[in-house]
Amino acid sequence: MKLRNEAPAKQADEKTPWVERETLVEASPDEVWEALTDEDRLEEWLAPDVELDPTEGGEIAVRDGDDERFGTVETVEEAERFAFTWSRPGEGESFVEFTIEALPGGSRVTVVETPTRSAPRDTAAGSTAMAAGGWGPRLARLQRSMRFALVA
Amino acid sequence: MTASGLADQLPITRQAVAKHLSALREADLVTSTRVGRETRYELRPQPLDEAAQWIQTVSSEWDDRLDSLRRSIEKRAGRSK
Repeated sequence: MKLRNEAPAKQADEKTPWVERETLVEASPDEVWEALTDEDRLEEWLAPDVELDPTEGGEIAVRDGDDERFGTVETVEEAERFAFTWSRPGEGESFVEFTIEALPGGSRVTVVETPTRSAPRDTAAGSTAMAAGGWGPRLARLQRSMRFALVA
Repeated sequence: MTASGLADQLPITRQAVAKHLSALREADLVTSTRVGRETRYELRPQPLDEAAQWIQTVSSEWDDRLDSLRRSIEKRAGRSK
């Protein structure tokens, strides 16, 4: 199992930013894999509506209200690595890669997102669309997560 | 601000400043304008602001999703035990 501690290889160029986040899960890599690659499981955490063909070259469609993204599966390495590209219509594309690492008592799940292709000539509109489209779903998720926090 | 002006203020040579400015220009982070015999450089913070904005937004989104992922998995794992 490879540990990732450098920037992802698939970046547009040295100047693109990237995001890397991780979480620790008390479950085996196989259990994590199921949640990452099964359509119904993905709808529990990635977005309310997900369509996925979890094979290399397969399509992915992610919808959260009016916010839609479409893309292609790039990497399928069972219980280890799952990656796809996605983009909002008319906007730049990014590469998303999940890595699962077995740990004593559970797994580390790491996700890296990096832009790979900039939008066709109207990045200002793209940024505005991102800002405008993001608040509704984000607020809803915040409300849900606050409810979880209160219950827990 | 000119390359000389910058070199006066920084503990590095004018050549080093020129190299840095060239890299920044290539990254679209400074603009250069010739005024007489001088070249004046000006900072363009917009690309950095955009990158910072993207990083903040996307980081926050993934934190939310990973949190939901963890809860979704652990809820199931707990039930099967």
